[in-house]
Amino acid sequence: MAKGFEGRIEQVDANRWRIPKDCRPNMRVDGMIYSSSALIGDVIDGGGPEQVANVATLPGIVGASLAMPDIHWGYGFCIGGVAATDVEAGGVVSPGGVGYDINCGVRLLRTDLDAGDLRRRLEALVGQLFRDVPVGVGTGGPFRFEKAELRELLAEGVGYLVRRGLADEADRAATESGGCLPGADPGAVSDEALRRGRDQCGSLGAGNHFIELQRVETVYDRDAAEAFGLAEGQVTVMIHSGSRGLGHQVCGDYLKQLRSAPGRYGIDLPDRQLVCAPVESDEGRRYLAAMRAAANFAWCNRQLLARQVRKSIAKFLGQAQSSLGLRQVYDVAHNIAKIETHDVEGRPRRLCVHRKGATRAFPPGHEELPEAYRPIGQPVLIPGDMGTASYVLVGTAEAMAQSFGSACHGAGRVLSRTAAIKAAQGRRIDKELAAKGIIARARGRTGLAEEQPDAYKDVDAVVECVHAAGLARKVARMRPMGVIKG
Amino acid sequence: MARHCETFDHTADVGLAARADTLGELMAALAEGLTDVLCERSAVRPAHRRELRVEAEDVEALAVDFLSAVLVAFDVDHFLAAEVNVSAASETTLAAELRGETYDPARHELKDEVKAVTYHQLRIARDGGEWTGRVILDL
Repeated sequence: MAKGFEGRIEQVDANRWRIPKDCRPNMRVDGMIYSSSALIGDVIDGGGPEQVANVATLPGIVGASLAMPDIHWGYGFCIGGVAATDVEAGGVVSPGGVGYDINCGVRLLRTDLDAGDLRRRLEALVGQLFRDVPVGVGTGGPFRFEKAELRELLAEGVGYLVRRGLADEADRAATESGGCLPGADPGAVSDEALRRGRDQCGSLGAGNHFIELQRVETVYDRDAAEAFGLAEGQVTVMIHSGSRGLGHQVCGDYLKQLRSAPGRYGIDLPDRQLVCAPVESDEGRRYLAAMRAAANFAWCNRQLLARQVRKSIAKFLGQAQSSLGLRQVYDVAHNIAKIETHDVEGRPRRLCVHRKGATRAFPPGHEELPEAYRPIGQPVLIPGDMGTASYVLVGTAEAMAQSFGSACHGAGRVLSRTAAIKAAQGRRIDKELAAKGIIARARGRTGLAEEQPDAYKDVDAVVECVHAAGLARKVARMRPMGVIKG
Repeated sequence: MARHCETFDHTADVGLAARADTLGELMAALAEGLTDVLCERSAVRPAHRRELRVEAEDVEALAVDFLSAVLVAFDVDHFLAAEVNVSAASETTLAAELRGETYDPARHELKDEVKAVTYHQLRIARDGGEWTGRVILDL
């Protein structure tokens, strides 16, 4: 399983490790891995650094090929990878820099519920959510959009759902990019992708996706927590899902369409999975238009999941949603490519920022933030494994200077699925979690085994590294109480 | 007409490793291996048939496109392939018949959700008298 790295890695400081660009003939910039002495061994064994070096060869890349502390091996780009290319300098966009699950991301809802009060009824509430929210392989949602409707949804994102009365304006405002990337073109999305998506908007899917009831255990930053509506002892709900089959198909379609692009543009690639095209080419523009449509679909998916979760909780408690304080804290994308302006070598440049398993972490004052958060900074939502913790952090000015305003996206896997299943043999993961006070329900036979806490890196160590490196600041740590999975 | 497919371990995902006497048999073995990842294939009845035709620029791209089409049949129409027969295969074209049925939660136990068929470490090649293939699935 160990893949190692044959190039050179130099420690810069306690939290940063450099792969110098002269260690490979085609690297255009350095690689920079955010990691700690405790984490770096697994990082090197996992094969991520090789991919960081590969990404550093992409045309137009600026700054450095970056990896967050939750780095692990991915397709083409590592997971936890951030790469920005200069659009005007022939910079490329790569579907592998976004991933198959376009706009996989996280949404956090806060409530006025007290975790202690809920504990007695927790098991029943988890059961209710498990019955009410569609989860698992091959499971669609109750919302079915005909082709014409789906095209509107892809073009307008959450705004379309607001128009249809399926979302409210406050949710839209508390979503990255307002739940809609402009420039989405449903016409660039294949019929197959539309067919895969038609009954999947508002369904969780399987794999590492989940809905989790959490208790805010520790608040580190009172001002930011207050601005986000978070306090110790309170119940929060975290939703982790993406663009379902529609997004997977868009990625597959464009990996196929771009197979010949590197040859046409004279781009020499170290890995076929890195296929790419200049942002300002027909192929690049078309991929971005389709990717944006899939991203809008994913925001609508999480919106409709949140809608079902709220309804289910209110029904279970026999209270009106409005009396539960069920407000959306924020929604972030962690698999996406966006055109953003950042200062590079002292001047603002229009960049295509790929975040693959990385979360945008914009600082206070940024115009992209909703007004309520502008004095504080962007909430950065970091889901951990289901037995440990998840975090809310806040974006910093330092992240703008170091990582194009990006931080980590989760804990990062260390065990393969098969190894996790083997490690779970003869054990009951649900019982082990229950002993820690966590109620877990999963549809699939192997879901809990594959996603057991031991399959992931230590989320506390990952977040500590992000915090210490200044990429984002800790605001709150949440403990899981109840988990539902596909 | 020997053919065989098994899975191998790969970081967050799973791979299919197959071998067969002919390219057509190899593709069929990989497609059945894909169904094995999705569900308990022995419970799927070969009651209905579907035809697939795929063209690509080389044999490895052909494998990705063919397996992606089998995956789409499941994701869109919930069609599970119990048996796969490839009637004609060259390194750039393929015609196959899938025999299977629509997913029925009462009889079929689904296993893993497959997001996509990837190009990573993809290898379809003729080694001596036999064809071998390795394909990694994104779960």
